[in-house]
Amino acid sequence: MENMIEVKELRKEFKSHSSRSGLKGAFRDLLTRNYKVVPAVKDISFSVKRGEMVGYIGENGAGKSTSIKMLTGILTPTSGTVRVNGMDPHKEREEFVRSIGVVFGQRSQLWWDIAVQESFRLLKKVYNVPDDVYHAHMNHVIESLDIAPLLDKPVRKLSLGQRMRCELAAALLHNPPLLFLDEPTIGLDVLVKLKIRKFLKEINAKYNTTVLLTTHDLSDIEALCERVVMLDEGQIIYDGQLSSLRSNWGEGKQIEFQFADTAVTKEILQPLLAEMDAAWTPGDRENVWIANVLNEEHVISEVIGRVVAAHKITDLKVHEISIEDIIRNIYEEGMTNG
Amino acid sequence: MKYIQLFFQYAAQYMKTRLTYRTDMVVEILSDLMSQAVNFVFILLVFGHTTMISGWSREEIIFIYGFFLVPFAIFGAFFNIWDFNERYIVKGEMDRILTRPIHSLFQIVLERMELESLFGVITGIAVMLYAGSLLDLQIAWYDPFVFVLLVLGGALVYASIFVLIASISFWSDSPTSIMPMMYNIGNYGRYPVNIYNNVIRFVLTWILPFAFVGVYPAAYFLGREDWYMYAFLTPVIGLVFFAFSIFMWNVGVTKYRGAGN
Repeated sequence: MENMIEVKELRKEFKSHSSRSGLKGAFRDLLTRNYKVVPAVKDISFSVKRGEMVGYIGENGAGKSTSIKMLTGILTPTSGTVRVNGMDPHKEREEFVRSIGVVFGQRSQLWWDIAVQESFRLLKKVYNVPDDVYHAHMNHVIESLDIAPLLDKPVRKLSLGQRMRCELAAALLHNPPLLFLDEPTIGLDVLVKLKIRKFLKEINAKYNTTVLLTTHDLSDIEALCERVVMLDEGQIIYDGQLSSLRSNWGEGKQIEFQFADTAVTKEILQPLLAEMDAAWTPGDRENVWIANVLNEEHVISEVIGRVVAAHKITDLKVHEISIEDIIRNIYEEGMTNG
Repeated sequence: MKYIQLFFQYAAQYMKTRLTYRTDMVVEILSDLMSQAVNFVFILLVFGHTTMISGWSREEIIFIYGFFLVPFAIFGAFFNIWDFNERYIVKGEMDRILTRPIHSLFQIVLERMELESLFGVITGIAVMLYAGSLLDLQIAWYDPFVFVLLVLGGALVYASIFVLIASISFWSDSPTSIMPMMYNIGNYGRYPVNIYNNVIRFVLTWILPFAFVGVYPAAYFLGREDWYMYAFLTPVIGLVFFAFSIFMWNVGVTKYRGAGN
């Protein structure tokens, strides 16, 4: 399969001038300025195949936005090459942006004062979409996102969830083969999130649309993406299947016990896990303790057996370690065993 | 062709929005008229004490002022981008502009247009007709065409200076303070430049060519043959400066750093 995005040793540096301290320093700044070159993205390489949905994650300041802005042609790279959909984003910007759709969660693509459908009409002209293509495609989008009742309202009167659905429709108006989503579900309630996820899957299946998704909400990524690219301090620290991230890092399971006896303490529980590779941590409620154990059948059975034999319990749950925990661990401990 | 269509789409949308805020629009037009009236009264007051300034009569200066209003109105309607740095660079709206398949400056012109300014064209022409009738000026058949050409040249001069200043935003953080100063300097162009000293005249002709917005092209209609050379240079200067400002803008866009999220 051909590659939709190809990034090779992409680098972006920002020059920032550091001011000297004191009045004397300020005068010296007038004459000669101290520039500090700060790399935001350090020689990253990756590629995305057509039709893939990729999660692009990283903490604030990891270089996510900067690299996305280079992929969308907003910023010019300091060095390295970007080919997206066979084009160089910033050199052939006007031609290139026809082939992408962009949703920046924090920023609106729509006109604030005018009705949603007027915004759509202007964008239709901007992208030069013929009437028949527009209707065939947009009727489906409007129906799937359930925004028909919102079309005649001005954007400023929409709720965040309503606006976000309209933003998504606007980004897909010219049916681009590639969609960049930056925090598309930030601040939305669960139902809207689910609706948006379902819609993205549909679009991906129907048009083979490639999606690059950044989000802080890892459940979005779990629901949509098979692959994640993880950035830290301007470098890619993980690029691979979400499932192997789980099997490499989230080996353990958590068994949560709620005890009937209120006098249970760590000291009393400790001997139960003797000569086993497991540890107790307190749960989030009273009388709840969590045993962190290896993900092996006999270990899990053994722990449950011993605990239940020794104490009365009122509830029992077995959790897989969440992706969020795994990612937190990676950022805290670094990519040592990955 | 596509850009012309887009322009009318945006303009129609603009009118629709403006008509829903009718009071705003009326207030804006009235305040424009007020400031034009103040400038007009100023000229009358100056000539209350004298009849000639450096060989120009009161009516001629009023005529130049009237001419100046026309390109200035066109500039104000489409290139009023004094808040470009604030709005597009600091707030990061430029990100959005750059993800659309239209030239970035053209999009900003479309978004920032203020068509009410075009009322200045009517005021300007009225002032010129008034002064022209006092001066007994004759209108030849080709004069309206020359007028359009010189007005467009003047508007381009004005526009290019403001585009150039806006382009500085791509490199530096603080050109906002230059903008009001430019409005002031721009006003010098509506008086005959030979009343200033030579340095200022040189600057207004070749560096910040505001003289090509008012006095030089108006001199053609006043029949000042010794100034014809400058008058006919107006469209040339307009095109050259505008091309240069577009070039600097395009270079600037590649230096855009984006707003931090």
